[in-house]
Amino acid sequence: MAAMKKRIDLALFTALGLAGIFILLPFGSSAEFSFREYSTDGKLLHSFAPYRWIIEQPEFLSHLLLSFKLAFIAVLFTAILVVPSVAWLHLKAQSFRPIVEIVTLLPLVIPVVALSIGVQAAFPDWLQSTEYELPLMYVVLSLPFTFRILDNGLQAIPLKTISEASRGLGANWPKTIFYVIAPVMRTAVAGAFFLTFALSLGEFTLTSLLHWDTFPTWVTSVSQQNIIGAIALSVFSLAVAFLILLLVGLFSSRSKKRTEVAE
Amino acid sequence: MRAKRLVVAATAAALFTTGLVVATAPAQAAGKIDYCTVQNLTEAGGMDALVTAAKKEGTLNVITLASGWANYDEAIALFKKAFGIKIVNDNPDGSSAYELQTIKTAPAAKQPDVVDIGATHLGAEASDTLGRSLFTPYKVATWNDITPTWKDTNGLWYGDYQGTINIAYDSSVTPAPTKISDLANPAYKGMVALGGDPSAATESFMSVFAASIAKGGSVDDIKPGIEFFRSLKQSGNFVTVPATGANLATGAFKIALSWSFNGPGFIAAAKGIGKDLKYVTPKDVVLKGSPYIQAINAKAPHCAAARLWEEFLFSENKGKFSKDLTSADIKQSGSKVFATIMGGQNIFNSGAAHPITEAAMIKKGTLIAPPAGFEIPAGVKVYSPTLDQQIPQQAVVKTMWPSVIQ
Amino acid sequence: MTNSYVSSKGVSRKGGTFARRNLIIAAPLLPLLAYLTFFFFWPMFAVVVDSLKNNDHQWSLINFTTIAQKPYSTAFKNSILLGALSALFASIPGALFAYIIEVRGSEKLKGFINSLSGVLANTGGVPLAFMFIATFGAQGSAIKILKSLGIDLYSGGFTLFSFTGIVFVYLYFQIPLMVIIFSPALHSIRNEWRDAAKNLGATPRKFWTTIGVPLLFPSFAASFLLLFASGFAAYATARAMTVGNIALVPLVIGTLVDGNVQVNQANVGKSLAVGMVLISALAMIPYLIIQRRARRWQQ
Repeated sequence: MAAMKKRIDLALFTALGLAGIFILLPFGSSAEFSFREYSTDGKLLHSFAPYRWIIEQPEFLSHLLLSFKLAFIAVLFTAILVVPSVAWLHLKAQSFRPIVEIVTLLPLVIPVVALSIGVQAAFPDWLQSTEYELPLMYVVLSLPFTFRILDNGLQAIPLKTISEASRGLGANWPKTIFYVIAPVMRTAVAGAFFLTFALSLGEFTLTSLLHWDTFPTWVTSVSQQNIIGAIALSVFSLAVAFLILLLVGLFSSRSKKRTEVAE
Repeated sequence: MRAKRLVVAATAAALFTTGLVVATAPAQAAGKIDYCTVQNLTEAGGMDALVTAAKKEGTLNVITLASGWANYDEAIALFKKAFGIKIVNDNPDGSSAYELQTIKTAPAAKQPDVVDIGATHLGAEASDTLGRSLFTPYKVATWNDITPTWKDTNGLWYGDYQGTINIAYDSSVTPAPTKISDLANPAYKGMVALGGDPSAATESFMSVFAASIAKGGSVDDIKPGIEFFRSLKQSGNFVTVPATGANLATGAFKIALSWSFNGPGFIAAAKGIGKDLKYVTPKDVVLKGSPYIQAINAKAPHCAAARLWEEFLFSENKGKFSKDLTSADIKQSGSKVFATIMGGQNIFNSGAAHPITEAAMIKKGTLIAPPAGFEIPAGVKVYSPTLDQQIPQQAVVKTMWPSVIQ
Repeated sequence: MTNSYVSSKGVSRKGGTFARRNLIIAAPLLPLLAYLTFFFFWPMFAVVVDSLKNNDHQWSLINFTTIAQKPYSTAFKNSILLGALSALFASIPGALFAYIIEVRGSEKLKGFINSLSGVLANTGGVPLAFMFIATFGAQGSAIKILKSLGIDLYSGGFTLFSFTGIVFVYLYFQIPLMVIIFSPALHSIRNEWRDAAKNLGATPRKFWTTIGVPLLFPSFAASFLLLFASGFAAYATARAMTVGNIALVPLVIGTLVDGNVQVNQANVGKSLAVGMVLISALAMIPYLIIQRRARRWQQ
């Protein structure tokens, strides 16, 4: 028994170790780059200077806030549109699942470049002159992922059973949704929101092809003047994503503990 | 019944309001100039009127003005500071083809006001599907100082600046390259890059042209240049990465062929990453490219601002740069502010570009000193392919280049 | 867990006619469908329509005959190869990693890995290209480390800016994508089955060869196909890593969108896009058939 336990730990340890190297080495290399500062005589120092430079840029905050705003709207639309639809799919409309799954895969397999051609050709002028066309498209782009996350999360839960039980116990639909369905979906929903947010924050291709200027496009345009600053920006964006990830992870595990204790 | 009365009342109110607006509008518009049809400064009502109208519009849409390119950074900064007009720069690293494509496909709000394109993109590409020009005519105040070859008789387009193809290299490279033919040196393995794709970007196209002349070709034959790069690719000298700052920083390339007017900006940016970048005019061939072309978009959303920008770019004034401009200067009337600031032609010159009005400015003594090290060596033969020579060679590159880099 | 697939198509005559009942079930899904129709199908439809028009705006198949020839056919070949190779080299490590996490990891770790994979699967473009250039470029950190160990990758002609290089970079987001897609399938290998097999005397190896692998293979194949589609269609990263030296369909579409069209081929970009959709559809059909069969086991 002890021997088997050792074997388990080793396998997990190796896997995590390799994954860690694979993920962190490229990230770490560019992170190291992002802390570089060259003195006037060309000597290499390391400091926070590139990050200070970022924050000092007058356009940093405006672009970051713009991207946050668009990302938030995309999450909102995911919440209104995608989450209830997937829940309904599992609750009452399971026969439609295969079709919906096909449909949600399409944005993954169609190149974003092609989509931008279509958007410019199809959308009316009034829609194309507002930056709010972007979050609407971000929802479409993240749909393959958000659908799967929600779908997988719900597969592990006997949703039909517990909601029927709740109804059987006398709760009406709003109560059932709020007290029974929502809590069990919490992790999946958090994951879907988080993914939409991360995707919207980093989306570059469609945004630039539609001639908009958000945080990622600003980073690229700034890169020619201050290369290290631009690298610091992309490291910064990824680090922010990781940070939010950890927070979400802490939040969901804490709530899990609560539900485990309650059982 | 009540609803019906409400409807009648609402309709009446709407009609009244509309009538009010319509009635007052002509009163405000009496004597109002439609800046979208103005073709020169006189028709614009003078500089003061133009500046006022431009400030009212408040924004200027430019496109593909890259940082460090012919000192556009300074032109943009100075224009913004002097007139308080916001400048929106769509896709700074885009190509001339992208500019024209945007005019053809982008929605009204995203149309550029002005474009700065490579000369080979004039012609069919610069026309819409019905053969009409994408541009609208405007003749700047200094129109007569622009070389006749490089302006449209009707004022649809006009050349602004030109440069020579230089060799840019990291000073750590030994031996230091002095000729384009040097690039085949095995010591330069994995080091040589172009600005972009020669079938799309004028700078890269001209680089191949320069290589062609260096290798025995001529202004009518670009094939030796293509073959030169093919051999560089095979020997491993030529790396197919764009010569950007990020790639320089990671050592993805160390030598590039580039416009002289990219020099000052790139050298400054390279310092920021601890690289000492050098620009030299090649000893074996001096290729002066045809000028880039300015034009006002017929669909420009900010007509007055567009025209003010053109007047600014072609101004030969010897005045203040943005860092020297004071708030007292800005408070002056439009024409006085315009007279205080450095003219665009001189700004191009400070960026190591040759302004189109160079000859006239030298005669008048209004040209400021260009940055050191970018002068064309005296007594050297300067090659300048004309448009008629460039266009067929552009077609050759488009066909043959993919096979070079596969 | 009831198989509603059977029951809803079956008897229930309670809510009126069969069609009406289906409509009631489908109704709450209509907002999503409407949304997708407007923001996705309509733009794509515009692309399809334009792809069937020639330069004079008349219906024609000329764009499709054009893309069947060089240089576009080369681009398709390269893209298909890129999709297949990146899927191949990502699916196996991804599946193994997902398995180890699923079986030996705590709930917290599983959640963390899943979210992390979500972030990493979305990396791409210039930031990703830069990360790899900073690590594996000629002056990259990993290259320097390897050099100090006596291994010089670049002397052998390796370069990050080659086809191999791009496949390598793609792994950074393909492997996390595999983890996301494949993990649910692993839920289906119930621990009870492994314990039961052990009690019946089967070695772990026998369990895997007779039960595990056959059970997982359909999902694995399905995930592989999805990864193929992802690698096939990726644009931003390819653009950052090449400058036209490797012909890939998304890149060619991008150049055409940027305006570098041959004068008589105005709508070729759109037919290329349609071509991509068709190829992806070809990959998706086996995916769906496999998934349908596999799902029965997962419930």
